[in-house]
Amino acid sequence: MRTLFANFVAIYRRELQSYFASPFAYVIAGVFWLLSGFFFVALLMGPQGLIQQAAYRDQMGITNPPVDVAYQFLSFFLGTLSSLALFILPILSMGLYAEERKRGTLELLATSPLTNWIVALGKLMGALTFFITMLLPLLIYQAIALSAADPPAQFTVMLLGHLGLVLLAAAVLSLGMFISSLTDSTILAAILTFALVLFLWVIDLVADSLAGPVGEALKHLSLIRNYTTLTQGIFDSSSVIVFLTYVVLGLFLTAQSIEAFRFQRS
Amino acid sequence: MIEVEHLSKIYGATPAIQDVTFSVEQGEILGFLGPNGAGKTTTMRILTGYLPASSGTARIAGFDVHEDSMAVRQRIGYLPETPPLYPDMTVESFLHFVARIKGVVAGDRAKQVESAMQRCNLLEKRKVLIRKLSKGFKQRVGIAQAIVHDPPAIILDEPTVGLDPRQIIDVRNLIKSLAGDHTIILSTHILPEVSMTCSRVAIINRGKVVATNTPEQLMAELAGESGYDLEVEGNLALVQDRLQILAGVKSVERVSDETLSDDRQRLRIALEAGPDPGREIAALIVGSGLGLYEMRRTKVSLEKVFLDLTTEEKTIDPDLVAEAYDRATTSAGSLPDSTPAVADPWDADSAHLDSTVETDSTDDRSEGEAP
Repeated sequence: MRTLFANFVAIYRRELQSYFASPFAYVIAGVFWLLSGFFFVALLMGPQGLIQQAAYRDQMGITNPPVDVAYQFLSFFLGTLSSLALFILPILSMGLYAEERKRGTLELLATSPLTNWIVALGKLMGALTFFITMLLPLLIYQAIALSAADPPAQFTVMLLGHLGLVLLAAAVLSLGMFISSLTDSTILAAILTFALVLFLWVIDLVADSLAGPVGEALKHLSLIRNYTTLTQGIFDSSSVIVFLTYVVLGLFLTAQSIEAFRFQRS
Repeated sequence: MIEVEHLSKIYGATPAIQDVTFSVEQGEILGFLGPNGAGKTTTMRILTGYLPASSGTARIAGFDVHEDSMAVRQRIGYLPETPPLYPDMTVESFLHFVARIKGVVAGDRAKQVESAMQRCNLLEKRKVLIRKLSKGFKQRVGIAQAIVHDPPAIILDEPTVGLDPRQIIDVRNLIKSLAGDHTIILSTHILPEVSMTCSRVAIINRGKVVATNTPEQLMAELAGESGYDLEVEGNLALVQDRLQILAGVKSVERVSDETLSDDRQRLRIALEAGPDPGREIAALIVGSGLGLYEMRRTKVSLEKVFLDLTTEEKTIDPDLVAEAYDRATTSAGSLPDSTPAVADPWDADSAHLDSTVETDSTDDRSEGEAP
């Protein structure tokens, strides 16, 4: 058990280190911060922004139903972040195994006393940690903006929304990691991951057109639907479980694909 | 320490290695010699647990590489053909990482990394990113990662490939210094490397081990090939026949040599195993009034052994093939009652050796007669 943990830490640290040592990751983070900052301002203070709309309603004397600008803003902004993440996450996950395969370092990992599970888990957590560090600066300006809200913003909504974002990221990264383990081309891994995630994103549209229990079941697989539940401030354990299932599925498939890769390669 | 028995690996329908059997004693360096594509890398990958064998067993330090893969992985250091390096790490942090995943306990890590860097002459580059290192240094980092956890068995796949001559010497010395405490298998297609670094050599060709022995003994196997090269002035016809009948002389032939003036000629004398007739040869030539300008002992180099052993398809004698076939069928017939038909490499080898010796001398002759 202790060695398993030590192995996990070793893989995790190396993975994190590779993100922080690469200019590539900083470019991604920079673009993410730029875009999210732009949307933050536009959503809140732009000409069509929420503050303008609220002011407009006040002028018109519409007070019923009352609007909770902070709450609305959070769910809009988190929705935007998830769309950005859709593009960012496949790029973070594309190199996880494809790079190792290309460089031949997979041979080092595969001949070291490590289990495939631990390697996959360490890598996933490394990528996820990098994503979380990308979110941290956003928390600061959200906190600044929301501290001025009257009535005060609900802390639980903010917490659940970001928890949802992290879970969503973990699910996407895990599936992306699996796809990355299938190829030694990082670009191909990114494109395939993007396609898969897009499909899981919109699966509820497909589900809507299908009647009966199949459509009902497909609806629950939709990433965006489960995510929206959380950003609305509703803690729905089924949503959490769906995301965790994706994570475990990704880990399992990755471990299997690496095992298969070793056994069939010629 | 390392025992390999009847190992085979089949990719689809093509066998990569067939019935490979050898063993390496504690502290030995075994050179795995063969042309490209002979199955060296496949064998090594099976030993490291990276690939499963189709049949046969391999054990390292008593652990089966497939059954007890984790125990084996802890006890081996492995340098694949392309050194597995993370270009964005420094030498030191990479070695720390490897030490960690190889299970070196935290207290020993710094010490082990330090000594691995020292052994591989990497101390001055410890803070340099691997991406910025030259090929030679990268190779050394590759070796350092194979020894950082001080494994009892080290497996090196072509450790000197792509290095400049100076670096090659460094790497060979490093490998030699590791023997004793460590058991080493290294693969190479460079022949002098084996005679310089290895205490034993296994020659592999087309997936089969065709010979296993010490480099010296492999050469001794071809002792019949040793002889003298002479540069003689005068009418050779006088002595050639008399040389031929000297005790210990197997054959005498003229070799064309454009660089010599018209009155000088080059003779190649092949010897039989046994007492060396060098003294008599010199006495005969000088006694006949001919001028002796050069007399040089020729020894079979490992290169020749290697070529002889690995190019049998072109030069094999049909009679010997038939003979080997007979032998194979009779031994197959006796398989059930006798002890498991251990691959008996010696039998097969001597057939190869004979055949190549045969054909090689004909080659030489034709070369001599050409002008």
